[in-house]
Amino acid sequence: MSPGTLGVLGLGLYLAVLACLAVAARRARRDLSPADHFLAGRQLGVLVLFLTLYATAFSGNSLVGYPAEAYRRGYAWIMATAFMLAISVVSHVLVPRLRPLAVTHAFVTPGDWIRHRFRGEYGCQATTVVVGAVMTVALANFLLAQLVAMGHVAGQVSGGLLPYWAGVVGLAAVVLGYETLGGMRAVAWTDVLQGLLMFVGLGAMLSWVLGEAGGLAAVTRAVATVRPSAVMVPDRQACLNWASTIVLVGIGAAVYPQAIQRVYAARSGRTLSRALALLTLMPVVTIAIVTLVGVAAIPRFAHLGVIEADAVLPRLLAAWAVSGPFGAVSATLVFVGALAAIMSTADSVLLSLGSVVAGDVLGRSGSDPRTTRMGKQIAAAILLGMTAMALAPRFTLWRLTELKMELLVQCAPVFLLGLHVSRLRALPVLVGVIVGTAIASAGVLTGVARIQGIHVGVLGLVANVAIAVLGSGRRP
Amino acid sequence: MRRRRVRCFLLAGIGVLYAVSVPWYRASGAPPVVVLGLPDWVLVAFVCYVGVAVMNAAAWLLTDVRDSEEEDAR
Repeated sequence: MSPGTLGVLGLGLYLAVLACLAVAARRARRDLSPADHFLAGRQLGVLVLFLTLYATAFSGNSLVGYPAEAYRRGYAWIMATAFMLAISVVSHVLVPRLRPLAVTHAFVTPGDWIRHRFRGEYGCQATTVVVGAVMTVALANFLLAQLVAMGHVAGQVSGGLLPYWAGVVGLAAVVLGYETLGGMRAVAWTDVLQGLLMFVGLGAMLSWVLGEAGGLAAVTRAVATVRPSAVMVPDRQACLNWASTIVLVGIGAAVYPQAIQRVYAARSGRTLSRALALLTLMPVVTIAIVTLVGVAAIPRFAHLGVIEADAVLPRLLAAWAVSGPFGAVSATLVFVGALAAIMSTADSVLLSLGSVVAGDVLGRSGSDPRTTRMGKQIAAAILLGMTAMALAPRFTLWRLTELKMELLVQCAPVFLLGLHVSRLRALPVLVGVIVGTAIASAGVLTGVARIQGIHVGVLGLVANVAIAVLGSGRRP
Repeated sequence: MRRRRVRCFLLAGIGVLYAVSVPWYRASGAPPVVVLGLPDWVLVAFVCYVGVAVMNAAAWLLTDVRDSEEEDAR
């Protein structure tokens, strides 16, 4: 059996299991309320919560985009382990304060917190809408990155039997199908399967990479010969970029709408703290492995172009698949694990997009079943638009991630400061979000991504926080 | 009270590890010494991140996340 046929069979089997889980989630539905569809009735336990957080946080970017970036930057990409860890560190500022409020006041969307925090203040509704809109743009961008990654991996898993466009369109339809059918319950249950597949796949990949190259020291020696800059101590600008990325992703990803909604969806606070304790160990295992995989690809593929490098992982796996029967089966497992990671992130993003647009941007009621229906329709419309954009990718997967974070990080003061600074007022917070977003957008439009290694979005965040805090003055 | 103090200590330790993990203190472009198969500055960063992961996991286990506003106020 050829590796391509084996890949198609593996993919088919995986999609069949997903379909069964989606149908089971549909049957477990209690009612048609937004809380049941978007938050699984607030009943997620430790293991499901941990695996759904893991599968959501470690996305297609982690498995496809990060090896590509490690290929481009070399060992300095160890910074990815740092910023993925920072998400769980920054969550200390968010979760212990937000959770009790979310349970007491039955929050469903991130905007429910904003309405609660600034209730009765001038600018409250506008802040909810603007933050919702910024989150929507950031999430749509995130979805685009997942779709691009799906296309790359599906093409390789099938040995070219599935063209890029078919991977994007077909798998987008599958994600939309099970998300619409079973809501958060289907997303969380499929995330369990996807998280396990990803973990097993990564273990297999590490053993292959090191075995193939003759050990870690041999990898480092080979890389030092082909591209010495990939192993040398990074310069000052690269160090500043390292620190800036930790701030950008640590703060930005802590306020992912889908992560906030998992804080609402946990069965209890204790469940949540245990799941986060488990989650914090994962970057050291997952990201360190994908970094090594990307670095090990440097001597193997010496001259890939910038966009072309996004296919480093699929190329490595394709090479493994033709190395023998064991390689073919293992590579198929990793391919399916990578697809699982991408799809699990895409489904969470899609679910959040629907609820944020319906609940926060359009202001629909959080208890009305019609909000659930509207959320599904909005998610489908956005997915359609992003699928069309994914058919002709213009940015690398990592650049798409940076763009998303630069926008998302502007929403962080509303949550992180709003929970701890009692004198914060709605109007300065709103102006801060608008100014921060304008600075980040200006960077994108003018093509100035970083200044001295520091992301323009981080500079926007500094201005954003200064306006929010200084503009709020002293509490009367 | 003791749990809270230990948690604060762990979070402060995480900050220190993050600062040490970035190779500010090394001459840029210097060829690295390979230790355990990795360039030394990469190994230092990796060890710091293992430390961050362990300390952060401990900090989460010491964190009381409450389930109601009243409980939180108490």
